Amino acid sequence: MRRAGLRTRVSAAFAVGALALSVCVTVVSYELTRSTLFRERERTAVRATYFDAALVDASLKGGATNVADVLGSLDAGGDRYVMVQRAGRWYSRTADTDAHAAVPAQLQEMAAGGEAAAQRIRRDGVPALVIAVPLDADTVFYEIVAQRELERTLQVLALVLAAVAIMMAAGGAAVGWYVTRHALRPLGAVADAARGIADGDLETRLDPETEPDLAALAASFNHMADELDRRMRRDRRFAADVSHELRSPLQTLAAAVSVVDRRKDGLDERSAAAVGLIVAEVNRFQELVGDLLELARSDQPVSREPTDIVALAERVVRAHGLDPAIVEGDDPGEWRVDARRVEQALGNLIENAVRYGGGPTAVRVGKGFLEVDDAGPGVPEELRASIFDRFVRGPAAGARGAGDGTGLGLAIVAEHAAAHGGSASVGERPGGGARFRVELP
Amino acid sequence: MTSVLLIEDDDRIRLSLSLALEDEGYTAHAVATAEDGLAEQRRVAAETVLVDLMLPGMDGFECIRRLRRDDDVPIVVISARDDTHDIVAALEAGADDYLVKPVAVKELAARLRALRRRGRAATTTAPAVRTLAFGDLELKPEAGEVRLHGAEVRVTRTEFRLLCELADHPGQVLSRQQLLQRVWEYEVGDERLVDVHVGRLRHKIEDVPGAPRHLVTVRGLGYKLQP
Repeated sequence: MRRAGLRTRVSAAFAVGALALSVCVTVVSYELTRSTLFRERERTAVRATYFDAALVDASLKGGATNVADVLGSLDAGGDRYVMVQRAGRWYSRTADTDAHAAVPAQLQEMAAGGEAAAQRIRRDGVPALVIAVPLDADTVFYEIVAQRELERTLQVLALVLAAVAIMMAAGGAAVGWYVTRHALRPLGAVADAARGIADGDLETRLDPETEPDLAALAASFNHMADELDRRMRRDRRFAADVSHELRSPLQTLAAAVSVVDRRKDGLDERSAAAVGLIVAEVNRFQELVGDLLELARSDQPVSREPTDIVALAERVVRAHGLDPAIVEGDDPGEWRVDARRVEQALGNLIENAVRYGGGPTAVRVGKGFLEVDDAGPGVPEELRASIFDRFVRGPAAGARGAGDGTGLGLAIVAEHAAAHGGSASVGERPGGGARFRVELP
Repeated sequence: MTSVLLIEDDDRIRLSLSLALEDEGYTAHAVATAEDGLAEQRRVAAETVLVDLMLPGMDGFECIRRLRRDDDVPIVVISARDDTHDIVAALEAGADDYLVKPVAVKELAARLRALRRRGRAATTTAPAVRTLAFGDLELKPEAGEVRLHGAEVRVTRTEFRLLCELADHPGQVLSRQQLLQRVWEYEVGDERLVDVHVGRLRHKIEDVPGAPRHLVTVRGLGYKLQP
């Protein structure tokens, strides 16, 4: 599985952190608020109950006999239920005759012992407080105070706090996204610079001043770019030096060998054979040096120009002593390429076909591609990728032994194709033989 | 026997090329410096000059310019340097052709033959001397004469052949490759040869070389000559 991106991970961490923090704050503040509110309400309820109890006590002691009437005279709201237990009998207001069922037995026992007490219960799913106040030996005043309103308040509070927690988490994620965007922006500059260098612009450097926190990165990046630039320059100078140093002795050899070669007939058989070898090897050496220098220069940018590709192909075919009729133009369209390099690539493909493939059977030119078919044994599957590497020769080449090429021809083809942003490949020609294809966008 | 002047500072290359050229039937005059080369050319007036670019003292570019000042002898550069800059500079200095070392002797001989044919074509005196007129530009292919506003213009043999080739197809576009085949006799050659020679010609036959009226470029196709 692909790992999530840095930005996603940082944003997620921010969101989780914000959520954890806000959940803590929410829970603590909810609990604090709840207990404070409860305690407040209970204190009020107890005070009110004692007041009511005093009223009832006074009424009963004053000779009132109908307990229900006494209770009915109390100013109790919808959330308060008043009851009196006298000699084992319950008295209550007519509206809530069965309210005594909610009074816990434990509380009744305590009250019967002459002790005032209070207990939290739940009645009809609503938290309530039952308060017992003994009036005399066999009379106890009970009051049930339902905390209906408090419950609603707490529900709203919980909802609000949950919403806040979710918003905090979302805010955290947004902050993470925003922060990483800013934090990663200088890395974007690094990526752009690296791309510039890869595209051949070796002058690209980063300014360590613009991003002090990334100064170390910028410095090492610039150092790397300097080093790369220095090496590339050195390599190029080396290629140029080698080119000159090799070309001069080769010129002497080429000229001297031609003088000897002319007189080969006058030599004895052994000398003539030796001269033949020298001539052949000097020729190969010349080709090799030319190819190596071409490869050394192949990273230089291409100079594209409108090119009549069919005419170019016919010219190359003719230059190899072949019939230009094998060139098939397949609606090639307009080509904008480096004609010299395309010419050389095609020339190398044709030479390859002549050397190892029994000669080209067709040279096809289409929209953005060139193909050369040959009548040889084809290229085995396992060699198709490596055949464009330097100094790789196929089995067909190995079998020939003599008259071998430089082993660089196809590497040059691949380099020229790559310089154009294209590619070179080899496949099977329907009916046997190899089909070399060069894509030039 | 045709004579060739070879200006090359490397002793071994000079000796081996002299031997090879003599095998090909040329009389080779070989010298090691540009100064000696200029003196030798004044003395023997070789039919073709082969010159290296990197020479001690006066360099090959200056040598070509001085040779060109005196006459229109065909000059072929043989150099180990092959960047565009050097090639174009040598051709602009007045060279007719450019070969990169190592040059096969067969190839060198073919180039020299082509140069001689170019020379002959320009000096043949035919009974009927044609005059091809392109506005104020006049061309007499058989007499080897070019006139602009009636005044004779000095052109090299290669420039003249190039002009004749274009003049034989008035108003018709000839591609760089066609011109390379017909003037330089290359099957596949370097198109910079054509471009630099066209540039040199424009300096001689155009009133404003930067805005040519006669020898115009047809983008992506080639060149044509028009009145």
